[in-house]
Amino acid sequence: MSAVNAPSPGGWREWLMSDRPQSRRQAALGRAYGGWRTFSRNRLAMLGLAIVIALLLVALFANQLAPYSPYIGDLRTTRLLPPSAAHWFGTDDQGRDILSRIIHGSRITLFVVVLVAILAAPIGLVVGTVAGYSGGLIDAALMRITDIFLAFPRLILALAFVAALGPGIENAVIAIAITSWPPYARIARAETLTIRQADYIAAVQLMGASPWRIVLRHIMPLCVSSVIVRVTLDMAGIILTAAGLGFLGLGAQPPTPEWGAMIANGRLYVLDQWWVAAAPGAAIFLVSLAFNLLGDGLRDALDPKGVK
Amino acid sequence: MQNSGIRKPGCLLGAAAFAMLMAGSALAATPKDTLVVVWAFDDTITMDPAESFEISAGEFMGNSYDRLLRYDVNDPSKLLPDLAKSWTVSPDGKTFTFELREGAKFASGNPVTSEDVAFSLQRAVTLDKTPAFILTQFGLTKDNVKDKVKATGPLTVTLETDKSYAPSFVLNCMTANVAAILDKKLVMSKEQNGDLGYAWLKTNYAGSGPLKIREWRANEILAMERNDNYYGEKSKLARVIYRHVKEAATQRLLLEKGDADIARNLTPQDLDALKANKDIKETGTPKGTVYYISLNQKNPNLAKPEVREAMKWLVDYDAIGDTLIKNIGIVHQNFLPVGLLGASTEKPFKLDVDKAKGLLAKAGLPNGFKVTMDVRTVQPVQGIAEAVQQTAKRAGIDIEIIPGDGKQTLTKYRARTHDMYIGQWGADYWDPHTNADTFARNPDNSDDAKSKPLAWRNAWAIPELTKKADAAALERDTEKRKGMYTEMQAEFRQTSPFVLIYQMNEVAAYRANVENLKIGPTSDATYMFKVTKQ
Repeated sequence: MSAVNAPSPGGWREWLMSDRPQSRRQAALGRAYGGWRTFSRNRLAMLGLAIVIALLLVALFANQLAPYSPYIGDLRTTRLLPPSAAHWFGTDDQGRDILSRIIHGSRITLFVVVLVAILAAPIGLVVGTVAGYSGGLIDAALMRITDIFLAFPRLILALAFVAALGPGIENAVIAIAITSWPPYARIARAETLTIRQADYIAAVQLMGASPWRIVLRHIMPLCVSSVIVRVTLDMAGIILTAAGLGFLGLGAQPPTPEWGAMIANGRLYVLDQWWVAAAPGAAIFLVSLAFNLLGDGLRDALDPKGVK
Repeated sequence: MQNSGIRKPGCLLGAAAFAMLMAGSALAATPKDTLVVVWAFDDTITMDPAESFEISAGEFMGNSYDRLLRYDVNDPSKLLPDLAKSWTVSPDGKTFTFELREGAKFASGNPVTSEDVAFSLQRAVTLDKTPAFILTQFGLTKDNVKDKVKATGPLTVTLETDKSYAPSFVLNCMTANVAAILDKKLVMSKEQNGDLGYAWLKTNYAGSGPLKIREWRANEILAMERNDNYYGEKSKLARVIYRHVKEAATQRLLLEKGDADIARNLTPQDLDALKANKDIKETGTPKGTVYYISLNQKNPNLAKPEVREAMKWLVDYDAIGDTLIKNIGIVHQNFLPVGLLGASTEKPFKLDVDKAKGLLAKAGLPNGFKVTMDVRTVQPVQGIAEAVQQTAKRAGIDIEIIPGDGKQTLTKYRARTHDMYIGQWGADYWDPHTNADTFARNPDNSDDAKSKPLAWRNAWAIPELTKKADAAALERDTEKRKGMYTEMQAEFRQTSPFVLIYQMNEVAAYRANVENLKIGPTSDATYMFKVTKQ
């Protein structure tokens, strides 16, 4: 890494903000820093980031944080207790501590969100860039498939997939991933169409790069930021769909402390024991809101025209 | 001319009076001679006793149609005369002769004759709708029913069966709705294209019961009126109105405000909350529905007798009874629900993890095993499944719950591809054979068997018990028959792959000024005509 000219201490900022970066690395870091500065000026986005980081920490240290087992309750002595010092969020109809269940449930929520993002975003990205770059018959075929998937209401299609694959959190993830890639393909295709006529693409083509190389190395990186923004904004929707499947009894299997399933369980007691449904509902609300705020901030930060 | 009506002073006055009435009724209670019941009766599909087999319709039929006999609501194993004042059984046990009550009249004014009785039974068999099996199981068919059920005198009817069944079995089946007595003259006057009045009777009434059905609007209202032609003690109430209200919370509010006299679908939580209200009382009766967990004998672990027994020691019956099914169920460990002839109330099992562990060790599974359970995602079934999952885990049995809706789980269960299943069974008619037939009979355990009772669904091969169940259905001495069922239940408790958990308890909440309300053990025995209001 000879390209890194050791800057004077305290000169990091200048080095990052330099108008004339002397290496790719410096340029990339500089852009990231600029993005971070835009992002950090947005207080709501920072709040979102804080909540998401808190969610990560809670999921990581669930075993240490949870005061009770999320699976074991006592029907006789601890059933449907209101919130108290011993049980901050009360207990549910099986006598289990709701706080502990929410803490352990954060793992499932994260698991779903991350897995859907890992599964759906690349599919959308590849389909969109390939369609946009190749055009013609391939474009038409890929986009019509996308249209077909877009034509179904998402939750209904996910329901059908889960019904076919069988209930369980993994199948719910697959179902949600299958139903959530089309918007990413659309975005990636739109971006690709604007990039594909660019001079540098023509230059790469002249140098004899294969179409795959062009798509993977020269087009896709430019589409990634808009897809990331879209995925982050979609995370709230993913959480809600997963919770919806759980609520309908097709997501997590009991006694997994999935938040949607916990609400479904509390529905029966909503008039007299409101806390059973309230706590997981608040958790879903908070995390969805956090992802939305984070996505908003990211959109501003990653917008190439917006970076100062 | 849209506003012309309102300009006329008379109409205006009328509207004002109506508005005042409405305002008044919101505050005052329901009229003294009218009973308002709020109930979810969206399952009702017809008013024809030959076809109706739904829970709600059963109650409407029970109040409006007489039959030859009824069972005693206070002791359902006893029979009481209804339109038949007496009955005899021939020495060979195949011919039943019913003597009808004199002077009984239908609501239409037509006299009740043996012709009507024979017609009603023949019609049910000929139409062959869902509940017809209750009659056809005695060998009645479309072709022979005219010879087997005959009016032999103006007030004498005979019924011939193909075998000599237990008389109590045959007579119990005569209390069912499908054996309700119709007004032949009236029904046949409405016949279209030889349908035996089927189209007309879907929404109309031709009976002789204490209340007559005035109007039924699906998912809205069912109105019944006092039948002044009824042979017995006439109803104190002039009318009974059932209002279809689906939500339990709405029912609770209507009852609390006095807009309804009786609420029928309250949740255990609502019932608990209403206990503090001194204007509201509650009454409950054990129904003929039992809830159980079954163990598929195709699973090699579950097929071990020790494992079958161990599962029965791994359910915390008492805690479940006091919490999850409080107000809606009673812990019960026999396949015959309380109220049926010979039903046992023995409860030998309780939560005993050590005993279960010992049994598992004996079965060669000291560390337990993994197994799946198909569960419908409705309460209280799901709650019970989760509670059992917890207690079974303490003995090392790892139950994976597979949630699904009713259709999914039932399809799997019927194809017997499940490991464990939690579900319920409701008595089809008021005789112990209805449950023995499904829990304790499995004439053919092969995959393509013709009849698929619950024992078949769990691949439980029981040639000996099947013989005992058959013998009990034919035993003519009622006391002896009772003993046979007691014996079968004892064996069933020990060896069966069914963990019986509880019997359903139906609870209604009512205003304190309502008296003599008693929920019947079957839906057709909740008699609103016996209710009075203060």
